Amino acid sequence: MSEFSNRVAAQRRVLQIVNSREWNGERLFGLSRNAIDRFAGSNNLDPTSGLLKLIESASSKLFFLANKSQEQVSEEYEALSADVAHIADELEIELRSF
Amino acid sequence: MHIYAFGSICRGEIDSNSDLDILVIGGEYPAQYDPAIYSVYSYERVRELWKEGNPFAWHLFLESRLLFASDGRDFLHSIDQPAPYKNYANDCEKFFSLFREARAALNTASRSIVFELSTIFLSIRNIATCFSLGVSNHPDFSRNSAIRMGSESVPLCDRVYRVLERARVLCTRGRGQEITSDELKAAQESLDAVYHWMNQLVERARAHERV
Repeated sequence: MSEFSNRVAAQRRVLQIVNSREWNGERLFGLSRNAIDRFAGSNNLDPTSGLLKLIESASSKLFFLANKSQEQVSEEYEALSADVAHIADELEIELRSF
Repeated sequence: MHIYAFGSICRGEIDSNSDLDILVIGGEYPAQYDPAIYSVYSYERVRELWKEGNPFAWHLFLESRLLFASDGRDFLHSIDQPAPYKNYANDCEKFFSLFREARAALNTASRSIVFELSTIFLSIRNIATCFSLGVSNHPDFSRNSAIRMGSESVPLCDRVYRVLERARVLCTRGRGQEITSDELKAAQESLDAVYHWMNQLVERARAHERV
């Protein structure tokens, strides 16, 4: 459960960063693939843009963690959690120039 | 490899918000299956869930249907039933905490409104499911478990409940109409009542644990 709560908090941070910007279309509703596709379509984002790649990367790392074994997770979880935090930092930088 | 259907399709409760829930159980970690489409678990992780008496283990044990088995046997129903679910009070408390965090985010003018409302729906549904499995002994794994508790159901009018449910579908499946500012206001005004309902479930779960 604490890992579950951490994943929710990590999602919240990524969404807060993306949604801190004023978008012409809809905001990002979640980190599921369909929610990301909807956000990209609504804002006419280039599917190959750095911004979308970072969002997709955060999404896949969070979903990957959800189904991992507890034993497998301990070290890998920390590494992937750090990756998501790093992606969030990169998103902040990316959005400054967007 | 084993493939199971679970969730609403196994209860015959299909509506426009329903998805097809498919569980794939494979070797070490069956990475070739897309986790965005399937719930993908290793045998090791499934055994851990069984050993923990995790609510998801009980959900699968009670409501899954085998679709495919590479070895011809029904894996989930050939192992013992999951351990008793003992962690219900902690789980109820943690979903209450999840609710409070989402409510606090909304109160500080979060711009991720759909995500926060979706998290509130998730916390409401999950606390009801954990309570039904751990305390009332009538497990209810449906998406609407919180409104199927009779007089103990979550104190939300249908309109607000559907707004929260829609937020969940927007967040997880990217489908549906965006939440309007009026709908957000109505939802926020209802959250105090939800807070007290959840607090009461946590207290009852704690009391049940002491018996």
